[in-house]
Amino acid sequence: MRSYQLIPTKRKTTLIYVFLVLIILLSFRYVDLQILNFGKYQDRANANSIRQIILNAPRGIIFDRKGIPLVENRPTYDLMLIPVDVTDHFDYDLLSKKTDIPPAELQRVVDEGKRSINRFRPKLIKRHINFEVMSNLEEHKLSLPGIIFTENPARTYVSDCNLSHTLGYLRIVSENVLRQAPLNLNYTLDDVYGAAGMEKTYEPLLRGNNGLEYHRVDIYSRDHGVVRDEDRYPPISGQSLQITIDSKLQAYVESRISGHRGAVIVMDPTTGEILVFTSSPDYSLNTFVGPIPSELWNSLNKSPDRPLVNRGSNGLYPPGSTFKLIAASLIMESDLINPYYNVQCNGSYTLGDRVFRCWNTAGHGQVNLKTAIKYSCNIYFYRAIQGLIFSEWSDMASRYGFGKKTGIDLPYEAEGIIPTEAYLNEKYTRRGWSIGNLLSFVIGQGDVLATPLQVIQMVNLISTNGHTYQPHLNIFAEKVPLNLQLKLKTWTFLQDAMFDVVNAPDGTGKNAKIQTNGTVRGKTGTSQNPHGDPHSSFLGYLTTSEGDTFTLYVLIENGGKGSGIAASIAKDIFTYLDATHTTIAVND
Amino acid sequence: MIKKIFQTSGNIKIYWMVLLPVFCLCLISLILLKSTSQQIEFLNSTLFKQIIWVCIGMLVIWLLQYVRIQFFYEYGYYFYAILILLLILTFFMPSVYGARRWIMAGPFSFQPSEAGKLIVIFTIAKFLSDQHNLSQILKIMGITFLLAIVPAILVFKQPDLGTAMIYVAITFPMLYWVGFRPFYLFVIAAPVVSILAASSLIIFYIWIIIMLGVLFFSRPKLWQGVMVFVLNISFGTLTSFIWNHLYEHQKERVLTFLDPMRDPMGTGYQILQSITAVGSGGLTGKGWGHGTQTHLRFLPVRDTDFILSVAGEEFGFVGIIVILILFSTLCYWMITYAQKITNKFASLSIVGFTALLFVHIFINMAMTIGIFPVTGLPAPFISYGGTFLLTCMVLIGLTNNILNQNI
Repeated sequence: MRSYQLIPTKRKTTLIYVFLVLIILLSFRYVDLQILNFGKYQDRANANSIRQIILNAPRGIIFDRKGIPLVENRPTYDLMLIPVDVTDHFDYDLLSKKTDIPPAELQRVVDEGKRSINRFRPKLIKRHINFEVMSNLEEHKLSLPGIIFTENPARTYVSDCNLSHTLGYLRIVSENVLRQAPLNLNYTLDDVYGAAGMEKTYEPLLRGNNGLEYHRVDIYSRDHGVVRDEDRYPPISGQSLQITIDSKLQAYVESRISGHRGAVIVMDPTTGEILVFTSSPDYSLNTFVGPIPSELWNSLNKSPDRPLVNRGSNGLYPPGSTFKLIAASLIMESDLINPYYNVQCNGSYTLGDRVFRCWNTAGHGQVNLKTAIKYSCNIYFYRAIQGLIFSEWSDMASRYGFGKKTGIDLPYEAEGIIPTEAYLNEKYTRRGWSIGNLLSFVIGQGDVLATPLQVIQMVNLISTNGHTYQPHLNIFAEKVPLNLQLKLKTWTFLQDAMFDVVNAPDGTGKNAKIQTNGTVRGKTGTSQNPHGDPHSSFLGYLTTSEGDTFTLYVLIENGGKGSGIAASIAKDIFTYLDATHTTIAVND
Repeated sequence: MIKKIFQTSGNIKIYWMVLLPVFCLCLISLILLKSTSQQIEFLNSTLFKQIIWVCIGMLVIWLLQYVRIQFFYEYGYYFYAILILLLILTFFMPSVYGARRWIMAGPFSFQPSEAGKLIVIFTIAKFLSDQHNLSQILKIMGITFLLAIVPAILVFKQPDLGTAMIYVAITFPMLYWVGFRPFYLFVIAAPVVSILAASSLIIFYIWIIIMLGVLFFSRPKLWQGVMVFVLNISFGTLTSFIWNHLYEHQKERVLTFLDPMRDPMGTGYQILQSITAVGSGGLTGKGWGHGTQTHLRFLPVRDTDFILSVAGEEFGFVGIIVILILFSTLCYWMITYAQKITNKFASLSIVGFTALLFVHIFINMAMTIGIFPVTGLPAPFISYGGTFLLTCMVLIGLTNNILNQNI
């Protein structure tokens, strides 16, 4: 049946209006999204897809004085897997062989990952694989679908020596570090920063400036390359650093004192350059690559040998008999005591109701200043300090640089203690101390505490007639003169006395005498301490036949008498130095 | 039989006001697919496949000019019976992606619910054009809704909520077209809209204003108007009240009942990314092939359901307005021509076609901009996909044919 009858126009109009109203409703929503809230959604889209990529600036390389690299950059890699990309062709055995993770374990990680919501996100498989393993895996990428690598900046230690404490290590910037970090260094979370040693001191120099670029990433975090319209900031490499250390000599010294606890410093007193700076025991910086495993950190931190402490500049010890040189200087400078006046040593000395002993209980007989130094006679100095003015003695020690930082370019340097009257009044009250205390001070015991660096600074002054420079490690650092104005005869006297210590057949330092052309002068030290056997130390310097001078301080904790182990280590080092000194390039 | 199906058509006239917007929309589809098919080998790309489908579609439009439309009137109920049988048959077919929508025979698969869109329109058009005494309001409306709801329930069970909604939705304009008072239709449709609109306060306010407008223009008796208004407001508020007092798992159960295909984790995320894509397009868009949401795969199913988000992102508000104008032009002319046709069956069919296209584009757009739940209804002519494109092309071909024979 057909009906031939026109539909009223009104229905057409109404229907079209209904459609129109609905379309206008839709357009309102589009206006709301695309015009009114455009900014909000643009931000959201950008946040979705544009990611900041930090371009790590290569850290400055550290060279030794001859230009041999000590520290280089070698990034480590984290191996990750995107579970969803792993196919049936994945070669679990190959990956297992390269990573030492059992294939079953890898399979389990992948299966678990595929079921997880984060199956598109990279899953960490192994941290800190090296470049060789990474490139090897990269070659087999076709049989390992889904593997990716992320790069971590890290150091590698390439020279023969450890130099652990001096070089220092890098750590990852944590929230805590970030809060305290200086703004101009532009740290970001998970950056690395120099946390100890030279790495810390010269952080602003070595660090360089990280670059920045913007990459597009898709929903699976896959990189789609650089965004052209955004600014790109190229990374600026850190500057390299040349230090005064001689890596060959350093390596020799490290091997010579390994097994002992202590510190050895070798310096060029004419420049203040530190050639060897050793603290034993040390640790392998290579284990510090990347974040330090907490067990390793705890074992280093809690070890009774305290391997993390840089004994050379941060360790405080009673200097022992080497400190008699302070009183000797004062005797020579003042007119209170005639240095050639003899004192009888019977092995002990009684002051009031206390008996003070010489190390040689049999006694040294008649000793004057020079022989007192040669024999390291305590009795002479017990007597001498009573003839001197205490404040002048403190002052002399202070002029030699004790009781204050030497200014070495290493962090956390200790100051040490030189007792003064004010110090003693403060510590023991005005009536709480007496002449008896001074008797131990003069032989470098009691309250006297010094770092090995301060002690070697004393011999730097003596060997240069009072004209040396502050100890430093950066070879291009501006040299800060360290001058001590004493009479020439004082210097000559001290040098002669130290010659006798080593070269006289009955000197305490005769074990340090070398058989080659150079001349060794020195002073032994034996520091009593509450931790067991006395610390054995030797302070001295070598004058080569060509006229070069090298100063040395050896301190072996609980090593016994200074005339023993410290002197014989000193002999070996001096012998080595005398044979090789011409190869130690003198700068400029 | 051949004579019943085919006719020799002398001079085929092309109704450009209908076909031109369609060609433009197909072109836009190809432009958008060219963008989403970047980095994909041409022969494997959706662009290439869509080009083939558009060509097939053109061919179909041409072939359809030789079909005798009255055939669909004469055999309307047979088609309907076959449709119901095929829809029942789908329940015995293996499920694909959790749904049983396809009848599979060897390499061929066929989706009866797609052809069903046309068959339901023809059946209702036939039924309504046969009625001369419109005073039997309840009987005619009842049977019309029944004709739509039976296949709708079968399709809903497949499950395919979107298509089921389409079947029901197209009956309203058709009922209006034969002369039922809009007020009655409104009374039937309003509660559903009230429940849906209750999901958002702003949408609910807009709905109240529309409701007041409709009531004003349809001029019911005062008590009827007030009753409809009050009932609908209470429906809406009650819905949101009950909804807010449901436990999460109960809500989930209701939503899953309505749409078993929904992915509770996925859809919220998809809509968010789609809104972000559209919003970040701004006035003029990010440029062809430069949509970050699209190309970095934040935008889900970008070739099909969310292709209008690609348009919104890359061509901005301007692009969307162009698409809306093209659709409006198409619908305007189809309705306008329908009104000029004296053959009631033909006229009703075109209204049904228009409603079908309009509901698709409206729901698809509303879905991509987050004002309608994700139902999986594609955008006519624009979304990638051969079956639905062919349905739309068939519908346009038939429209041109009807216009050729009746104007």
